[in-house]
Amino acid sequence: MSELIIQMCGVGKSYGLHQALSDFNLEVQASEVVTLIGPSGSGKTTALRCINFLENHDEGIIRIKGQEIGYDTGGGRARVRQKHKTIAERRKPTAMVFQQFNLWPHMTALENIMAPLILARKLDQHTARKLAERALARVGLASKAASYPEKLSGGQQQRVGIARALSIEPEVMLLDEPTSALDPELVGEVLNVVSELVKDGMTMVMVTHEMKFAQEVSTKIVFMEAGRIVETGSPDMLGNPTSTRLQKFLAPLHRGGAVAY
Amino acid sequence: MFSRLDGYIGPMLAGASVTLVICIGAILLGFIAGIALYSLRNTGARGAVALADVYLGFFRGTPLLVQLLMLFYIPIALGVEINPYVAAVIALGLNSGAYQSEILRAGFQSLPKGQVEAADSVGIPRGKTLWHIQIPQVLRLTVPQLVSEAADIIKASAIVSVVTVTDLLRVGRQIVASNYRPLEVFITVAVVYLILISIVQLFGRYLEARWRTKS
Amino acid sequence: MNFDSIIGMMPAFGRGALYTIGISTSSIVLGALLGFFIHAAYRKFPRQLKAAYAAYVWVIRGTPFLAQLFIVYYGLPAIGITPSAMQAAVATLAIYGSAYFAEIFRASWNSIPKGHAEAAIACGISPLATFMKIEMPQAVRYAIPLLVNQSIVLIKESSLASIITVPELTLTAGKIVAETYSFVEPYLLLALTYWALTYLTSILGRRIEKSFSR
Repeated sequence: MSELIIQMCGVGKSYGLHQALSDFNLEVQASEVVTLIGPSGSGKTTALRCINFLENHDEGIIRIKGQEIGYDTGGGRARVRQKHKTIAERRKPTAMVFQQFNLWPHMTALENIMAPLILARKLDQHTARKLAERALARVGLASKAASYPEKLSGGQQQRVGIARALSIEPEVMLLDEPTSALDPELVGEVLNVVSELVKDGMTMVMVTHEMKFAQEVSTKIVFMEAGRIVETGSPDMLGNPTSTRLQKFLAPLHRGGAVAY
Repeated sequence: MFSRLDGYIGPMLAGASVTLVICIGAILLGFIAGIALYSLRNTGARGAVALADVYLGFFRGTPLLVQLLMLFYIPIALGVEINPYVAAVIALGLNSGAYQSEILRAGFQSLPKGQVEAADSVGIPRGKTLWHIQIPQVLRLTVPQLVSEAADIIKASAIVSVVTVTDLLRVGRQIVASNYRPLEVFITVAVVYLILISIVQLFGRYLEARWRTKS
Repeated sequence: MNFDSIIGMMPAFGRGALYTIGISTSSIVLGALLGFFIHAAYRKFPRQLKAAYAAYVWVIRGTPFLAQLFIVYYGLPAIGITPSAMQAAVATLAIYGSAYFAEIFRASWNSIPKGHAEAAIACGISPLATFMKIEMPQAVRYAIPLLVNQSIVLIKESSLASIITVPELTLTAGKIVAETYSFVEPYLLLALTYWALTYLTSILGRRIEKSFSR
């Protein structure tokens, strides 16, 4: 049995009176690709951002490689918030790709990738540069190393974002709607890169609206609504939904017989 | 420490009213000067634009104190007696005009050009268009900045005490000269300014809310 | 217009200008530093410092600088603090500027999209390194024109130091007027000198802005 990378038990999160996430349970093993789907407001992004503690979960336990992140509970109900340093340490096996790319505009593409290596992993300039160049080549953008984000297309910026996430050598990548902010013709280049990473065995948790892509690369699909998991299953369930709610969600895509995008 | 000051409420109120009267005069003068400056620059004629630029360069590039001193003492040198209160209003007003012209310019530019064209097409003379069509809208658009400018004028008006105008700050100095309690008096004077300015700012926010819901 | 007298005034104006430049630069530097740290503290502890920060900005920006100057120079001696005119001028102008500088820094940091810091945190970059290497470069670029503007305001405001007898430009001109009974030449030279100072500062500012953009 391969290693359990992520474990979420009974995780909940509310913003004021609004319960964004409740009773969320998930297990992600090495080399699995788990995709969260659902209508907007279903809590899928909240769940994802709880994993690396960009959102602090109000209930439940989240473990990354067996270690709790965010709060120490010792298994009981009482929880103590961890110190910054501990959280950063527990977060290390993860890397995130953002919907809005979040590239730093005052740095070139290469510098964007080098920055976490130098500032977080404390590597020296030379080593950082080598690793960054490799990551950039892996996403097919070696020629754009000296370009600033404003000169890159959306698809190129997101690929740099992926390279930045890759460079810190994560054990699991968290992708938050990586193509939602892209023009349709740029979506393909990003999905191709993600496919390649999946082929290389990267563990992933992804939130996306690209159903066809989800079906192709995922090992597990989680359908959510109103902050709760409705149905979990293999990718085939997208072609053959059993619950009525999933059928309703996928209906606009199934119109006309074939799955249309 | 502050107890003995209640005897001075009268003079302080008098000083505050002088401050307010001067400021109201300065705001109005500044508005007219601002409109005039905008119109000058709008003509595009080289002479007019140059004149406006010199005005702006002088009133924005030199301290208000220097402008006030020049406006007060140079006429005296040329033999003209000038009332210090008048000098104060003129100095503050012309100074404010430089800043108001910038505020108003942004407002004018955000009006759709078609409005002036429509007025032209039905024969309304440009002067009337300016005052009846453009300015009411520009006012609505620029209220927050104009109110902020009004608050700045009240703050800036404190320097007119230098040319013997009995504004709020000068009253403060007079009181200090008689009771030797500079700390309490000047703090109280500062508080009164703070209250006046805050009232103006609150009024501005009220106007903003009211005019925003109207449009 | 007597041009010889203008040339004769230049040495005195030179000395006054040194005072003006001295007061201005000290208060700009001190005020910017103070404003930076006040803003940084507020950013670090927003809940605890929100009221104090708002009050600080409200009071300092809501009262005339001249009143503040009088409080410091004439009022503080009553409680045992006796600053010299120069000290009072620099200190008060620095504190006055710091409130404006703090607000400039606050607006600059607010202009940075939240996601940039999130991406840094997600990569494991420490909060301090995020502040210094990710946020600050962007904030500074936004802030420079505003900082230059505020510096020009402080240069002009320094003229009020003349009222508490600091021998800077305005007082120098006033002295010459009192001694020579000529009004036009001294004040004209005074206006020109200030104009030159503010103009040079804005040119310097534009240079700095250019050197920060790629």
